[in-house]
Amino acid sequence: MSEIPVLKGNTKKQRYESLVAALYQDVFRYAFWICKSKPMAEDLVQETFLRAWRSLESLQNDKAAKAWLFTILRRENARQYERYRPELIDIDGQSIAESVNNEPDNKMDRELLHNAINRLESEYREPLLLQVVGGFSGKEIAEILELNNNTVMTRLFRARGKLKSEFGLSTEIDE
Amino acid sequence: MDELEFRKRVYANPRDLDDDILEAARANPELQKIADETLAFEDSLVPLIESTEAPEGLLTQLLSIPEKDELASETAASTSSNVSPIRARKQSFFQYYAVAASLVLAVGILFSFSVNGGPSSADIVFGNELLAHLHHDIEEIDDITNGATYEILDLDEVNFSMANAGTRLVSYGPAQEFEVRSAKPCEILPAYKSAHLVLEGSHGAVSVIVINNSPVDVEFNIRDDRFNGIVVPMEQGNMILVGEKNEDLNQFASMFSGNVEWVI
Repeated sequence: MSEIPVLKGNTKKQRYESLVAALYQDVFRYAFWICKSKPMAEDLVQETFLRAWRSLESLQNDKAAKAWLFTILRRENARQYERYRPELIDIDGQSIAESVNNEPDNKMDRELLHNAINRLESEYREPLLLQVVGGFSGKEIAEILELNNNTVMTRLFRARGKLKSEFGLSTEIDE
Repeated sequence: MDELEFRKRVYANPRDLDDDILEAARANPELQKIADETLAFEDSLVPLIESTEAPEGLLTQLLSIPEKDELASETAASTSSNVSPIRARKQSFFQYYAVAASLVLAVGILFSFSVNGGPSSADIVFGNELLAHLHHDIEEIDDITNGATYEILDLDEVNFSMANAGTRLVSYGPAQEFEVRSAKPCEILPAYKSAHLVLEGSHGAVSVIVINNSPVDVEFNIRDDRFNGIVVPMEQGNMILVGEKNEDLNQFASMFSGNVEWVI
């Protein structure tokens, strides 16, 4: 189960501010990994929170806030970038450079892993990111992606299997 | 529990293993190895994904959305009933500082051929978007390259489109020199305004695009199988010149460099 933000305050603006403070890092992280670009992720996050602000009254249950935001973001990403999706590029360690543990050998592995995640097909990358970034359960991911739970679990299995196979670790993802 | 079933359940959620999985691992060293290996891999994967931090300033921008949105609504209501809410919002939200005045600033094009480094990753993504946009408009570019009859536009017509990106041509020099065949607002990056002129060059159509996003760090080239281009940073945005591979774009750059003004 994902962590539950507490939307404090009595006014709409106070509730919005607590929503931003609690979740903007996770929302940005998710945006970055699905669109592979920090400038695009920043635009996406701004658009997501603008839409959230405008429809905050429709959020009836604070426990669903993170899933709600991630769903808005996914739709916005599809709407904005479905026509002009750039080709995959190496991101020059944009996120890697910010890591605390950044020793040279480790950095090389991290870059390989970074690129391996980016190469994952979106059907595998998305549930993986929802699980790792969002902390969502299989059931929650199934609801966000509008899939059944078994499909989600299979995709998570395959996502990790594909990543591990890139590093020469044993997998049996074809079964 | 067989190995495949074990792998499926461990891979699907390595951080939350059920008791029967743990028990199976304890009873079978091979399965234990799979579980250990998967958890070790997870120890690399999760910190990498979580290491991405939001840019400095994003929090402030997000917190200011309510005020900007309210201002945008008021502006839209007071200016024109024909302005759609989305368009009005984008004008105010992303160009908040542009609505107040009509101060005209001359722009000097920054020919910064830096030797210290190439374009940033963000600039490369931007370059990809520009090329994608050209291919979106490929029909018109092909028409002009192939000599289809397009009316030559006058300065007012050109500036009508360039105003979309907050720019204008100061003089008609460049347009007269190269004959602007098409000028229209376009959308390259969401939330940023841009205009796309198509001129007739020596080897086919030449696109001149102005966009009011952040200036790129250094001037850099873009290319694909067909086109070559230059992205030139300006004070308030970027100017991009793109032509067929053998087109000399420098003449266009120098021609336009002194003739584009940014209006804020």
